[in-house]
Amino acid sequence: MSRPLVASLLLLCALNATAAQPHRIVSLNFCTDQLVMALVPPQRIASLTWLARTDGAAEQRALAQRVPSNRGSAEEVLASRPDLVLAGRYTTMTTRQLLGRVGVRMLEVDAVQDWDGIRRTTREVAAAVGEVARGEALIARMDAQLAEAATLRASVPLRAIGWSGAAEDVPGEDTVFNTILVTAGATNIAARPVGSSGFDLEEVLRARPRVLLRGIAYNEDRSLRSGVADHPVLRALPGLAIIDYPEGAWACGVPAAAGYALQLARTLRALPAEAAR
Amino acid sequence: MKKSRALVPLLSVLLLVVASLSLLPGRAGWLLPWRLTGSDAELARLIVWELRIPRLLLALLVGAALGLAGAVLQGLTRNPLAEPGLLGVSSGASLGAVIAIYSGFGAAFALAVPLLGFAGALLGTLLTLTLAAGGGVLSLLLAGAAVSGLLLAGTALVLNLAPNPYAAYEISHWMMGSLADRSWNQLALAAPFVLLGIVILMATGRSLDALSLGEQQAASLGVDLARLRRQVLFGTALAVGAATAVTGTIGFIGLLAPHLVRARVGHEPRRVLVPAALMGALLLLVADIVARLLPLAQELKLGVLTGLTGSPFFLWLVWKMKERTP
Repeated sequence: MSRPLVASLLLLCALNATAAQPHRIVSLNFCTDQLVMALVPPQRIASLTWLARTDGAAEQRALAQRVPSNRGSAEEVLASRPDLVLAGRYTTMTTRQLLGRVGVRMLEVDAVQDWDGIRRTTREVAAAVGEVARGEALIARMDAQLAEAATLRASVPLRAIGWSGAAEDVPGEDTVFNTILVTAGATNIAARPVGSSGFDLEEVLRARPRVLLRGIAYNEDRSLRSGVADHPVLRALPGLAIIDYPEGAWACGVPAAAGYALQLARTLRALPAEAAR
Repeated sequence: MKKSRALVPLLSVLLLVVASLSLLPGRAGWLLPWRLTGSDAELARLIVWELRIPRLLLALLVGAALGLAGAVLQGLTRNPLAEPGLLGVSSGASLGAVIAIYSGFGAAFALAVPLLGFAGALLGTLLTLTLAAGGGVLSLLLAGAAVSGLLLAGTALVLNLAPNPYAAYEISHWMMGSLADRSWNQLALAAPFVLLGIVILMATGRSLDALSLGEQQAASLGVDLARLRRQVLFGTALAVGAATAVTGTIGFIGLLAPHLVRARVGHEPRRVLVPAALMGALLLLVADIVARLLPLAQELKLGVLTGLTGSPFFLWLVWKMKERTP
């Protein structure tokens, strides 16, 4: 083979590699942050959202501290010269439009709420970042965790609700929270066919939950709702188990959700049998 | 205009009846004592004792504070459009409470929330009354609008810098005012401040009566105007500041209540005070019952309800004043 041909072939391979394996990935959405961190090493991440540093699981927060953060503005994204931008479908619209106009490679990832959706978007993002095998490994791990959770499920699902002190913010049917709950062997009392529905404390009590899941967000003590979430009536209610959960981490349709479902299934199984009320 | 001595007893009885009825309905349905047995009765007892009674008492306390503060401010400024929400009192209280909540003071020291609410309300009232000193009806409203704007900008700044990413979202709900899911703890935090404020404001009646004749006449009758202003300032800031810190912003009660009773008791400010407080409590209680009973996916916020009914009334008042003073 002639030297120029070899050189151009090598160059082509290199170009292909960069196209297939982006090295300056920007994520504009908290949930795509989680996927990117699960799929690629930090050296290949140009920036994640500022939320990734404060919300989500501890391990991911620590990881996010080691890469730059963005607040979703077009200017900072362009300045970081990304070779792939991952975004959600609902936020940072002006930034997405601008990036689309200047021809930056961008993938808009659906917000998914169920395991099938998680498999689909995980594969989609894994392909885009050139980590197909890693993506399959994440899905295999997820499926194993789901299978284990299934063995732990009680025959009669426990009545549960996600209530964190704000009546207007109770996760309903079409949420990752709901998927985690059902997988772990509980039914969501608030599973009305909307994302979240109004549920004041009285409605919570009269629905007679066995388990109340209380979302904990970053700086939870510096919030209005934390004062309400400590309402004395909850402690006075006989037979109610209150379980704290990381709210941000449970909000994303990513393979890690299966880990939370398994963990919750174990917690629920360890609850004492329902006291006669 | 016919003066009625029966208004206070009438309002008191009405308040008592509505207050008792208010223990029955909730968003989760009615709690009818004769229908409850066994564990249902135990749950109902918890709901009534831990949720509905603190909520009722807060409604009475906050409504009375707002109605009374409105009556006193209208007397002091001799301006029928004066109202805590329009004079920067409520926005000052909001700023104070928001600082307490998102700086973490509130979590470390629960009294910080009503205390800073009081301090903010004091700042707002002081700024408005100072800016409007010596001006007419319009200058007071303009000063109030300017001060409210400034304090709301301050609140937005605090939210911007808040270390909790959901602060702005939470506070947008809170600003609409609500009594839902309050507890005895919150009542106990706010009540001493609000009650002290109410006592201070109630004591201003005689001086306000003298003031209604004019400043010089009042001074010649032995009224210390500077002292009266301080009294109103502190009383309003205590009552409205602490109330707002617990319930969020609830507007127009302070405007509506005095006007609704004035036709019955006459125009001497002193006679308006007690009925205005009772009427304020009644209005807020009724608004809260309506908010609970409306069959919406989300409970309608109290401040939205009082705003929707109060602002047309405010417009009507402005319109009437325009007719009188061309």
